[in-house]
Amino acid sequence: MTNRTLRHWFVVHKWTSLVCTLFLLIVCVTGLPLLFSEQIWNTFVGDDDPPYEVLPPGTPNASLDVIVEKARALYPGQIITNVNPDDDEPAVLISMAPSWQALKDDENYPDRSSGHWIKFDARTAKVLEQSRPADSPKEPRTWTGIIMGVCNRLHNSLFAYLPGRLFLGLMGGVFVASLVSGTVLYGRFMKRLPFGSVRRDRASRLTWLDLHNLLGTATLVWATVVGFTGFVNELQTPLFGLWRVTDVRQILKPYANLPVPSQDHLSSVQAAFDTAGKAAPGNEVTGLSFPGASFGSPVHYVLWTRGATPLRARLFTPVLVDARTGELTGAYPMPWYLRFLEISRPLHFGDYGGMPLKILWALLDSVVIGVLVSGLVLWAGKRKIATDARLRALGYDLEDAKDTPVSVLTGEGAR
Amino acid sequence: MNALRSETPQSSFAAFPLRAPVAVWPWPIALGLLTTFGLLSALLGQHGIWLLLSWAALSIPLIVTVICLIRAWSRPSSKGGLS
Repeated sequence: MTNRTLRHWFVVHKWTSLVCTLFLLIVCVTGLPLLFSEQIWNTFVGDDDPPYEVLPPGTPNASLDVIVEKARALYPGQIITNVNPDDDEPAVLISMAPSWQALKDDENYPDRSSGHWIKFDARTAKVLEQSRPADSPKEPRTWTGIIMGVCNRLHNSLFAYLPGRLFLGLMGGVFVASLVSGTVLYGRFMKRLPFGSVRRDRASRLTWLDLHNLLGTATLVWATVVGFTGFVNELQTPLFGLWRVTDVRQILKPYANLPVPSQDHLSSVQAAFDTAGKAAPGNEVTGLSFPGASFGSPVHYVLWTRGATPLRARLFTPVLVDARTGELTGAYPMPWYLRFLEISRPLHFGDYGGMPLKILWALLDSVVIGVLVSGLVLWAGKRKIATDARLRALGYDLEDAKDTPVSVLTGEGAR
Repeated sequence: MNALRSETPQSSFAAFPLRAPVAVWPWPIALGLLTTFGLLSALLGQHGIWLLLSWAALSIPLIVTVICLIRAWSRPSSKGGLS
């Protein structure tokens, strides 16, 4: 490699790193509590739900139609929006609202929400819990809730919604570029140093440089994977939007102008679950939304199914069942870019290998924070040297000249 | 750092040990492959031995880092490093 190309790589590394370091520090630090959010909630807030009734093992689940009827009887005149059996508890969540229009109007009033939910025992169809009514006094916010909320929003969008998400996605891409250029520079700087050297008997700048190289190499692949999957995750809104305006629009075209039928005359919800299970063999049905839901069809139940094996459990396949007749319209596997998004999620969250994997995730994250900080120290040191050199060129006599030889050694090609 | 103060830039440059070139990439590649294996074995295996292997593989880069740091800080004037 010529000095010229090395200089180019150095400039790329310096600027890509400078652009993204601050934001990466934010996501690295806020990511730590998010990694353990389940444990933090359980420890500081706890679960005050009543325990489930003890029933003999093998008790069959109640028909979802019975549960839906009970929900309707509790709120006559309202509509049901979603039916979601719980993943790991014997419970079914029914979401309701006064009307589709009321839900749509909520979007214009950030503090209004007309939707509410009822939680049923899946086996006995008894009401377990209901959401707090909208007009009741707000539950006092806990410190845990506030801190986790701030971390979550900073980590996802810097409190800036979609623009923030896209911006952080861009920073993820810049981070990957910085990692690549850093790897090239590593190859040059380490030519005559055994791996893992940390020179402590020379200038402190060299110690920082060696630390930066060592910590950076140890976490290089992990940081690349988490950075890149973070980038993909931030693109989820546009990617789902793309799917909606292409495939989904095509599928729903024949139905787009039909009126939403009254919920009194719809086919059986339980039968729709069974039909969807058969339409996507090997998949389990995780939820159903009623005709008229936004982004759905006016006349179809939309059922979400997912694979039963651990890896395929992250791949969702929507199934459409005609709610007027109960007949299957079709199962629609997602396009490749959404499958890629779904597979890349666990590689970002580190939630697929138990507590030890989360702890490793946290440790690797801390090492990356070390890489960022040592990089900042190197950059700040270089700035001081540059400033001193300029001052000297102007004729100022600076007392401590100890940094000068170091700038000759470590700053090769650093203009 | 103090040693450098008395020297001119030229002499300190000459004192910089001209070591023989070393193989730069074996360690980074080994650590990278271990990380890749660790990330994938838990994702694709999800059970028992694959999880254990994943935890072990992902720990090694961290352990190597700690060893390098300990070696650098325990020997007052060494160059540290694993050869």
